[in-house]
Amino acid sequence: MSADESRASAPLSYDEWASALEDGELLGQRCTACGHETAAPKAACGRCGSRGLETVSLPTKGVVYSETTIAVAPAGFDGGSYRVAVIDLGEARVLARLEGDAGIGDSVEFVGSLEGREEPAPLFA
Amino acid sequence: MTDARVVGIGMTEFGVHDRPLPELFADAAFEAFDDAGVEGVDIDAFYLGNAMGGQTERDTHLAPTLATHVGIAGVPCQRYEDACATSSNAFKHAVRAVEAGDHDVVLVGGVERCTPTTGLDTPEMTSIFASAAHRQYEQPTGLTFPGVFGLLTTRHMHEYGTTEEELAAVAVKNHRHGTLNPRAQFGKEITVEDVLEGPVVASPFRLMDCCPFSDGAAAVVVTNDEIAGTLDGDPVGVAGIGHATDVIPLADKADLTATQSARDAASQAYEAAGTGPDDLDVVEVHDCFTGAEVLAIEALDLVEDGEGGRAAVEGLTALEGRIPVNPSGGLKAKGHPIGATGVAQLVELTEQLRGDAGDRQVEGAERALAHNLGGDAATTVVTILEGAT
Repeated sequence: MSADESRASAPLSYDEWASALEDGELLGQRCTACGHETAAPKAACGRCGSRGLETVSLPTKGVVYSETTIAVAPAGFDGGSYRVAVIDLGEARVLARLEGDAGIGDSVEFVGSLEGREEPAPLFA
Repeated sequence: MTDARVVGIGMTEFGVHDRPLPELFADAAFEAFDDAGVEGVDIDAFYLGNAMGGQTERDTHLAPTLATHVGIAGVPCQRYEDACATSSNAFKHAVRAVEAGDHDVVLVGGVERCTPTTGLDTPEMTSIFASAAHRQYEQPTGLTFPGVFGLLTTRHMHEYGTTEEELAAVAVKNHRHGTLNPRAQFGKEITVEDVLEGPVVASPFRLMDCCPFSDGAAAVVVTNDEIAGTLDGDPVGVAGIGHATDVIPLADKADLTATQSARDAASQAYEAAGTGPDDLDVVEVHDCFTGAEVLAIEALDLVEDGEGGRAAVEGLTALEGRIPVNPSGGLKAKGHPIGATGVAQLVELTEQLRGDAGDRQVEGAERALAHNLGGDAATTVVTILEGAT
């Protein structure tokens, strides 16, 4: 196997995921063995352990699965209240910042990456 | 295989302690030694729980440091870190070593400081607690631990109609229990209105839905049944331990309200002990937030799924209820010095099984369960103890 082929078959890395997110694309993985999808890339499937993972572009439309408004923030997250939500994208779920007042069951859309942060986080609205 | 026994217990008051970790830990360790009727020279090994000392105290390689401070230098020492389930995991491994005959008499302990005595303010400590969330896929969102349990609990409210008033009833109950525990951080009763009028920390949780930042230490001495018979300490049996994990990050969990690791750990512990939820007399659960107790009692099968919210309102889980939960006051009122919490639960249950729990004694308690959960429920250790018969 050439180095290129080896690289092509390597699982989606954090750097690739983060770069794509900053470019406005939400990447994830689908397990070729069990079909489980995730928005948090791993070296093996979180559900069945298979190393057969393919990179997928995740849907940009989803539904709020759960949400919380965080009023006491960690150091480095100044600015008071903000919302964090688990978004159901159909097969995968993703943890994201949520703008607006959508509640559980409401439709939301991926709008890019949280601005002003060194480490990107998905943003939905 | 031999059976393991808890023969000595000790813990500090939980609250604010402006002292170094070794001094704090020694108070709990020596109380446990004295209760068991052992000296340092009798201890064969040390199992320590400390979750965050590297971040909060700039202090690592703690197990041999603490061992030296209490006069047991030279024995094999190991330190465990599993977020809030830290010292119950230390206890599990100590029990396994005794059961296997590797060690005869072991010290298990936990110690942690989380209050401003560390020099860290609320945003800094909130950030350190949040380090148990996924570094790449959760922390950058600004998720906090109240937020983690906020997500789990908001979903429970959606699925089952659990209300903020029902959550508040958990805090009211545990504060009432805490008034009966001289080692509890909070010693005053509160009302549902007090909880509902508090400022939001992470919805649906207000300030009094959340356990406090705490400093403290707890320790137990564990030995085999043969040696237990020769010591002064009134022995309590370790009937079963379950230990399970679940996926991280939480968005990948199959079910946000199941706390699946707790269900798996409980099944293991019930099977090992040859018992079930209906046979328990008293339970300590990991109520880091009011919603966490609701999820815990469902996962342990003490109530049906969806009925956890009503349990505290109906008095089911009160000291005089069908199944008393958190007679110590729980993390909510007793306090939650992370690495000490798991062992502190076992200290409470040992006192209950000995009949030594004073005003918060559950009459005739013979079988007790501890549920100690770490991170976003990615780790849970469930321990079942039985009184000597």
